[in-house]
Amino acid sequence: MELEPTAAMPKITPAPHEKDGAPGFVMTNLSELVGWGRKYSLHPLLFGLACCAIEQITAGMSRFDIARFGAEVFRASPRQADLIIISGRVSNKMAPVIKRLHEQMLEPKWVIAMGDCASCGGPFNNYAIIQGVDKIIPVDVYVPGCPPRPEALFYALTRLQDKVQKFGLGVRQG
Amino acid sequence: MTNITTEKLKTRFPDAVLGVESFKGETTVTLKADSLLETARFLRDDPDLQYNLLLDVYGMDRHRLGLSPRFAAQYELFSIPKNRRIRLNVPIAGPQAGNGALPKIDSVTGVWPTANWLERETYDLMGIEFAGHPWLHRIMMPRNWVGHPLRKDYPLGGEPVNFSFDKDNPRFAHLGKQIMAGPSFHSELAEEMDEEGHLIINMGPQHPATHGVLRLAVELDGERVVKIQPELGYLHSGFEKIGENRRYEQFIPYCDRLDYLAPMSNNLGYVMTVERLLDVDVPQQAQYARILLVELQRIASHLVWLGTHAMDVSGTIHALLMYAFNWREKILDIFEMVCGARMTTSYFCVGGLRWPLPGAFQDAVRHFLTGFYPDGINEFEGMITNNPIWKSRLQEVGYLSAEQAIALGVTGPMLRGSGLAFDLRKAQPYSGYDRFDFDVPTSDRGDSYGRYLVRMEEMRQSVRIVEQVLNKLKPGGPHKTSDRKVVLPPREEISTSMEALIHHFKLVTEGFKPPKGQVYGLIENPKGILGFGVVSDGSAVPHRLRMRWPSFVNLQATDTMARGGLLSDIVTIIGSIDIVLGEVDR
Ligand code: SF4
Repeated sequence: MELEPTAAMPKITPAPHEKDGAPGFVMTNLSELVGWGRKYSLHPLLFGLACCAIEQITAGMSRFDIARFGAEVFRASPRQADLIIISGRVSNKMAPVIKRLHEQMLEPKWVIAMGDCASCGGPFNNYAIIQGVDKIIPVDVYVPGCPPRPEALFYALTRLQDKVQKFGLGVRQG
Repeated sequence: MTNITTEKLKTRFPDAVLGVESFKGETTVTLKADSLLETARFLRDDPDLQYNLLLDVYGMDRHRLGLSPRFAAQYELFSIPKNRRIRLNVPIAGPQAGNGALPKIDSVTGVWPTANWLERETYDLMGIEFAGHPWLHRIMMPRNWVGHPLRKDYPLGGEPVNFSFDKDNPRFAHLGKQIMAGPSFHSELAEEMDEEGHLIINMGPQHPATHGVLRLAVELDGERVVKIQPELGYLHSGFEKIGENRRYEQFIPYCDRLDYLAPMSNNLGYVMTVERLLDVDVPQQAQYARILLVELQRIASHLVWLGTHAMDVSGTIHALLMYAFNWREKILDIFEMVCGARMTTSYFCVGGLRWPLPGAFQDAVRHFLTGFYPDGINEFEGMITNNPIWKSRLQEVGYLSAEQAIALGVTGPMLRGSGLAFDLRKAQPYSGYDRFDFDVPTSDRGDSYGRYLVRMEEMRQSVRIVEQVLNKLKPGGPHKTSDRKVVLPPREEISTSMEALIHHFKLVTEGFKPPKGQVYGLIENPKGILGFGVVSDGSAVPHRLRMRWPSFVNLQATDTMARGGLLSDIVTIIGSIDIVLGEVDR
């Protein structure tokens, strides 16, 4: 049934185009377009190690809201993630597990070392802790801080987005 | 003052008691190793003693103290009915140096089942063997690790730190390359599990509901849990070893990073223990400020528990996680105002507070309280207390009776959720808790829902304490002790007084040196009883730093609680224990 327009329901007319001709195309190249798509849809792995992981969770909560950067969909399976945030100290026992998680992620994939521990061992220079996760997997962005504030993580994320944008198509990381 | 415990022990076992020592109000009884089990049973069962709670078991390497034999096992006992403590010190004769053979002592798991993991840890890190232990395997370090890190002849390890870095220097050519720390370790679990008729599944260490890098091997019969074997140590960071290589005051920042959801409480537990060792008096106002901040911390910690628990149990209550973190943010803002850090606060120092409270502090706390209480808490309760999904996932799940809880060494809200009103803030008040009114909430349910009710009520009680402290808190006045042997003199004094300058120099270059002795401080953390054992050899570095972390001990109850339940209940149970992996693995 169609409604008769009445006086109470004004008829909506579309705004007139400034120029004639439908806006139908945009000039870019495929690699930039894909990079643009990738950088705003990073899927981090749902994975936390130590104190920094709490700040990582906080970054996802409403006050800081990582969704503003398009990276709020934390995936629980490494096969669905393209970003792993190493948020905490990496012990000798955990190292093989992290390496395997990283290997399970599909390419292209990126790594953020969040906090001093993940970057260089932090205050734990001892028998148990690996002095930086870059000894076992390649790191794209390091975030200093103990723990870094969520804003610092966001800065790292935007730096990573720049990198992702330039990454290009069909490049192998392996 | 006669001590009934030592008197009784001496009359009953005249040959077993080698000595009794008293230091700073704590009694240590040295026992002969071969009569340990007998005395342990007596201590637990004698109606006048009733040491039913074994708080801690740890090893001592007394090599550098010049004592013989080199190794000793120590046991911290607590009698809940009599509200008394005692420490057993049991020197172990036998093989003293490396090459495979380990000193051996009887296991007390038969007397206090909680000793199970504590003894495994001692075996792993100190290399003491416990005869009769049900399953003596490494718990923190990988199974194929060589050596026992807490022994004094085991180096701290680590790498030399390069303060300048030249990437063209061939010395650093290996950096950034893919080097593995060691061989990869596959499942070493399930040795005792029945793989024939049952299904064994692995949960973690990367799993959304294990609150960190906890790994569980679960033996299933259909959907029912037959046995759970947790595997720990994925976040083992060697805190105790670090503590034994740092000066006393240098360890304070490390405390923040253990139970990173409750840094203020950890700080308080540690500084109180060191203060007792040093006999330092803390100004009244600083004590009050400490209580206030610790209670806020309790609320913040419970909020994280609530949010993540609700999230695990039912993904649909995601909003609750957001709300909980929002309130927590407001508490973190107060912490940031006080010390500049949100999480790793290190605000308490030995002798008081590191800085005075800022001027707007009280208003900020009042502002938080008006919003949070009662509306904030009521909102949470309105969302879930009667929510059918919440109830059906929590009620009758993870039952733990009070007897089981005590036998397993469970403390904190979990013990109170089993119906026992045991709270150290009441039983052995510290830092001036006895001046404030508050109740100890309990629940007789003993299941996850009971623990939920207890924690919600605890937040209310914390608000009550905070309100009372606010009324007593006066701005101004000293915020730390004036004992110049312990705290740095104020800046003005240094430029006018030679003495102050000397104190400053001494403290910065050498640190303070407590007298020789051993203390073990306890505090009621949000998750249970936290203990710091400090053995001083008279130098500025502790000879032994032992920590009892509540989640580690509480986690041991998982197997008991989950047996016979459904696989999906494990998520509820882990959530209701409220673990933090930083303190489980330390
Ligand atoms: S960098 Fe600091 S806050 Fe982060 S995991 Fe390490 S110790 Fe914890």
